[in-house]
Amino acid sequence: MLKLTDINRRLGDFALKDINLEVSDGQYYVLLGRSGAGKTQLLELIAGLEHPDKGTIILDNEDITTRRIQDRKVGIVFQDYAVFPHMTVFGNIAYPLKARKEDRKSIVEKVENAASAMNIKHILERNTEKLSGGELQRVALARTLITSPRLLLLDEPLSSLDASLKDDMKRLLRNLNKAGQTIIHVTHDYNDAISLAKRVGVIHNGRIIQEGSVDEVFKNPSNRFVARYAGIRNFFRVDISLEKGILSGVTRNNVRFKLENKNTGSECLLIIKSDSIILSKEMPEDKELNIIKGKISEIIPSEFGVEITLDAGDLFYVNLHTSVFEKLKFVEEEEVWMSFPSGSIVALNGTS
Amino acid sequence: MLLSSLVLLFILAPLAGMFIHTGGAQFLETVKDKEVHQSVWLTLWVSFAATLFFAAGAIPLAWLLARKKFPMKNVVQGIIDLPVVLPHTAAGIALLGFISRDGFLGKAASSVGLNLVNHPSGIALAMAFVSVPFLINAAKDGFAAVPERLEKAALNLGASQSKVFFTISLPLAWRSITTGFVMMFARGMSEFGAVVIVAYHPMIAPVLIYERFSSYGLNYARPASVFFILVALLFFIALRLISSKRKVKHINIDAETD
Repeated sequence: MLKLTDINRRLGDFALKDINLEVSDGQYYVLLGRSGAGKTQLLELIAGLEHPDKGTIILDNEDITTRRIQDRKVGIVFQDYAVFPHMTVFGNIAYPLKARKEDRKSIVEKVENAASAMNIKHILERNTEKLSGGELQRVALARTLITSPRLLLLDEPLSSLDASLKDDMKRLLRNLNKAGQTIIHVTHDYNDAISLAKRVGVIHNGRIIQEGSVDEVFKNPSNRFVARYAGIRNFFRVDISLEKGILSGVTRNNVRFKLENKNTGSECLLIIKSDSIILSKEMPEDKELNIIKGKISEIIPSEFGVEITLDAGDLFYVNLHTSVFEKLKFVEEEEVWMSFPSGSIVALNGTS
Repeated sequence: MLLSSLVLLFILAPLAGMFIHTGGAQFLETVKDKEVHQSVWLTLWVSFAATLFFAAGAIPLAWLLARKKFPMKNVVQGIIDLPVVLPHTAAGIALLGFISRDGFLGKAASSVGLNLVNHPSGIALAMAFVSVPFLINAAKDGFAAVPERLEKAALNLGASQSKVFFTISLPLAWRSITTGFVMMFARGMSEFGAVVIVAYHPMIAPVLIYERFSSYGLNYARPASVFFILVALLFFIALRLISSKRKVKHINIDAETD
């Protein structure tokens, strides 16, 4: 288990302030924040690349606050991968084993296994100069995993991958975690957080401003920043089914969505942006739309108008501009219709 | 454009003039002169040895300067650059005091039966004194250009600091270090002022040229100069070729066996 207590670190104008964080074994912890929020700095403190001005870092009941980088057994994969340019792929992955002076035979065996697991066995003899970003990342990941780190730190591992590679990498990371690897993953992208995390921490201006399970953080943002940053409180885990040629997703509470995307598995996560939902008092006639009836459970003022919470079995959050709200005059307990096009639903392979 | 050409001409014209004025027969005679090749050979190997010997300390120092913060770092950097701005004869005088039998290093050397004055080792020290800043500064720039992240990544993978130095920093800074090595070697072997004070004999090529000039005149000194320049050029080209080849080889060796 990793435990950070009252970590403070000043770096020029920026400072990490009073960071308290616990990551239990086997956890997949996503640290979510904008660029410049202090995510990378926090990872570097945990890896020992920097040292805190104040506070302690405990890993598996040992105080590692001032321990040297090479003795921490915390693996970090940098955003730019930091693959050694003067070695082949094999040389890179074998590097930690050579540093430990393992014998040649066991090095070859372990490197080949690690490369197979990352699907890069065919490029082992290549120089790293001409590898793609995705390949470099796998080299860096294999190189780190071969050290069997107690904790794996990933700095924006999905940000520079294209869509299909991103899905592959997500699957790989999820499987790693399932196999018991504790992971801390920093990202600016809430999609990553929702689809991978068991726990989420939101970091802003050097402070962790909210922490909890994915549902806790996104459904109940503790303050406006988290809510705005997240901006996506309408997300639903659904079972996918195909009925009469129509692909649909159904939540546990029996809310049904019509879907467009045919590339989803048997289960997935749906995200509906709150500003793509239209509310009306009468049932809309366009049969192409998703049309769901719900009851207004709460109306609260928001930055540009009001935020309406609707209960349709699952809770939906809809933002209305003041002018719209004044025209339609919704009240709490009123039954209304929500509508949104299938195209406005983002489907994530979240649970495969 | 015109001014630039003039500068180039200014560098090339005297050299070309010297080559033109050296007759073939005269030159051949000098090439056969035992005294001349002994001195050229001495110059080359002593400068090479001095460079090699001082590299062992200069390269780690360069790494420290590129990577670490320490108190008085600016002062240290200033000390390193000092030999470049000193008049070389003055440097020679300072060094002579240091290596003569009464000097600190001289005493230590003579206790093991070595007299540094008028000895190749004294010449090597004089050459190194004026030329080692070139190696240190080039290597420092080379190390500074290695992304620190790669070194940190290597540490994170469990390598010790010295392992990181030899497997990451040094190979990646290798090109700059080689350049520094060649510059130090070149600067060392062309040194006259400091060497002539600590060792008139055995005679290195610049001293020999000076001696021939002052005893017999321009015509006699010229063929020796031409010969020395040609040998030095050959040596440089060879060294450049070897070091660029080594660079390529180094990558492969590193990948397969290191």
